[in-house]
Amino acid sequence: MKLSTLKNIQFEEMATLLHVKGREQLLEKFCSLGLPDKKSEAYRYFDVEKLFESDYTVTPALPGAIGIGKKVVIIDGVVSTAPKGLRIYYKECESADMEHFDPMYFLGHLLSPVIIKIEVDGDAELEIEHHFTKSNSLVPYRIVLHNQANRHATIYESFIADDIENTLVLYGYDMHVAQDSTLRVVKMHSMPDSRYAMIASHKVNVAKQANALIKSFDLGGGQALQLMKIELDTYAHVDAAHLLYLNKDSKRGTVSQMIHKGEHSTSKQEAKNILDGKARGIFDALIKVEHSAKYSKAEQNSKAILLHKEAYMAAKPQLEIYIDELEASHGATTGQLSEKQLFYLQSRGISYTEARKILVIAFANTLIETVKDTRQQEQIKAAFEEVFYTTHQRG
Amino acid sequence: MSTNSIMTIENLQAKIGDKEILKGLNLQLEAGKVHAIMGPNGAGKSTLSKTLVGHYDVTVTGGDIFYKGKSIKEMEAEERALEGIFLSFQHPVEIPGVNNAYFLRSALNAKRKHEGKEELNAAEFLRLMRGHLEMLGMKSDMISRSLNEGFSGGEKKRNEILQMLILEPEVIILDEIDSGLDIDALRAVSEGINKMKDGKRSFLVITHYSRILDYIKPDYIHVLKDGRIIKTAGPELVAQLEEHGYDTIEEE
Ligand SMILES: Nc1ncnc2c1ncn2[C@@H]1O[C@H](COP(=O)(O)OP(=O)(O)OP(=O)(O)O)[C@@H](O)[C@H]1O
Ligand SMILES: [Mg+2]
Repeated sequence: MKLSTLKNIQFEEMATLLHVKGREQLLEKFCSLGLPDKKSEAYRYFDVEKLFESDYTVTPALPGAIGIGKKVVIIDGVVSTAPKGLRIYYKECESADMEHFDPMYFLGHLLSPVIIKIEVDGDAELEIEHHFTKSNSLVPYRIVLHNQANRHATIYESFIADDIENTLVLYGYDMHVAQDSTLRVVKMHSMPDSRYAMIASHKVNVAKQANALIKSFDLGGGQALQLMKIELDTYAHVDAAHLLYLNKDSKRGTVSQMIHKGEHSTSKQEAKNILDGKARGIFDALIKVEHSAKYSKAEQNSKAILLHKEAYMAAKPQLEIYIDELEASHGATTGQLSEKQLFYLQSRGISYTEARKILVIAFANTLIETVKDTRQQEQIKAAFEEVFYTTHQRG
Repeated sequence: MSTNSIMTIENLQAKIGDKEILKGLNLQLEAGKVHAIMGPNGAGKSTLSKTLVGHYDVTVTGGDIFYKGKSIKEMEAEERALEGIFLSFQHPVEIPGVNNAYFLRSALNAKRKHEGKEELNAAEFLRLMRGHLEMLGMKSDMISRSLNEGFSGGEKKRNEILQMLILEPEVIILDEIDSGLDIDALRAVSEGINKMKDGKRSFLVITHYSRILDYIKPDYIHVLKDGRIIKTAGPELVAQLEEHGYDTIEEE
């Protein structure tokens, strides 16, 4: 199936092409938003049309038995193993956010007749590993995740691909961060090459007095975009951090909407972007403070370092504010490594390449070090070095 | 050329941007000796030190620099460092996010690798550091912090001396190592410098004050004015300079 065939078609035809019965609301919403193209707000910096030209085999995720393992392992959208005692099961989609800005959020739902539901108990630490094994495939799947009130859970997410090519992964979460809880999500997405492309479309609800800590580490090449809509209730807090380190002709990044709905809600969003080769980094982020969200506080910042003259950063921080009683700040900078700092290191006998590596890691470190688990931290640093040494001769 | 010369600077001309700063500077550094350079603000002292270590600001437009008999004019900064030339900067740069200990160990291991020696692991390195830190009166948290970030002026200078002690260079250029130091720091830093004297290393100490020279006992005083060395004499010149300033110095 070529996704481009979904362009400009009406309800009936769409239902037939997508093999969807019922689910009228979702279908209608998707039809009205339309398949994204390069003129769509959310996809303006991402070459989405090219991905829609490929003829993919759509393999619907057929749920099977779930084995027991240390981590949640999801292979091509199907849960293969999960830790003992974890409440994880398949369910028909019960609720989607009908106001989501991303058309692909709705397409993802439409192509996933069942969703994976995970209920995280207590102060769990959960690893979720996504595997992709098929070439020329469209892999749609969705996960609904709940944590428990008053608890502090952590999720580590990572991605592994076999030697495949030309696959498009279309997945995403609907996350529900319960009242008075903390949910920490650390996503480590290293793509050494472009075996598959990804559109990840998320929705995060942060309930009263809840904390959501969302960290993403996107490293390497390839094409991938994460789109997230985050809603904050009263006294909710979101701390989002995105690290991008791209090379070759990669196009990756974050498109987000941080929506303050409740009073006294606070959000902090920080993007650090390192771009090498001809890569393009994307940070297209809107903060929206609604009438109901008095005394909110929102901070947003993007910093980029270009390591190559053909690298490019598309940073678009935006504020949309309907009230006066708030504190909000945003900013974006793009620069190069400091010549002064480089020289200082070199004047101590450290080679040009190593000096650059040290400074690049230093720039990223403030984000890497927010990951509490040292083993995860080491993995991120190792992936970081790997990306670095694919573009720079080891000194 | 004296046979004992470790570095010879011949008719050196250099500019920063379009501005000519060194205008035919001659100087010989003798092995095992301490050379002090004094001179008015803006004379070109820091420019000379930057030129010697291959700083990107400086363009050499004439003359040459010989280190152990070979021209280093075309050598990269990192290579000069590995070969044993060290500059303690007048204004050391802050590098947030780079752990000081990690930096120091990277620098030492780069040097050891260059010399065909085993690299040191973190534990071996810390053992080596302990004595140096104590001598310099540096708290051990100084090396677990980011490189120079938020260091006071004196702490930065101590950190420069720490690097010198670790790297054991052969030509040591100290650009105003004494400015901004309190009495204890000056003593500690001088002690560090004196410890490096081994009869072979050569020191080039740029200073405005005689205080540090009381501690580290220079063999020669050179006056740098308007891009050239206009006088070279023994340590007795310091008193004369302090009394009469630079205006009375006649070019030799
Ligand atoms: N990056 C630069 N750009 C432009 N001019 C410079 C630069 N660096 C130095 N200069 C100029 O070159 C001249 C020599 O400067 P230098 O720093 O070498 O003097 P100095 O002898 O070390 O002085 P001080 O005793 O004040 O440290 C000065 O006039 C200074 O303004
Ligand atoms: Mg100076």
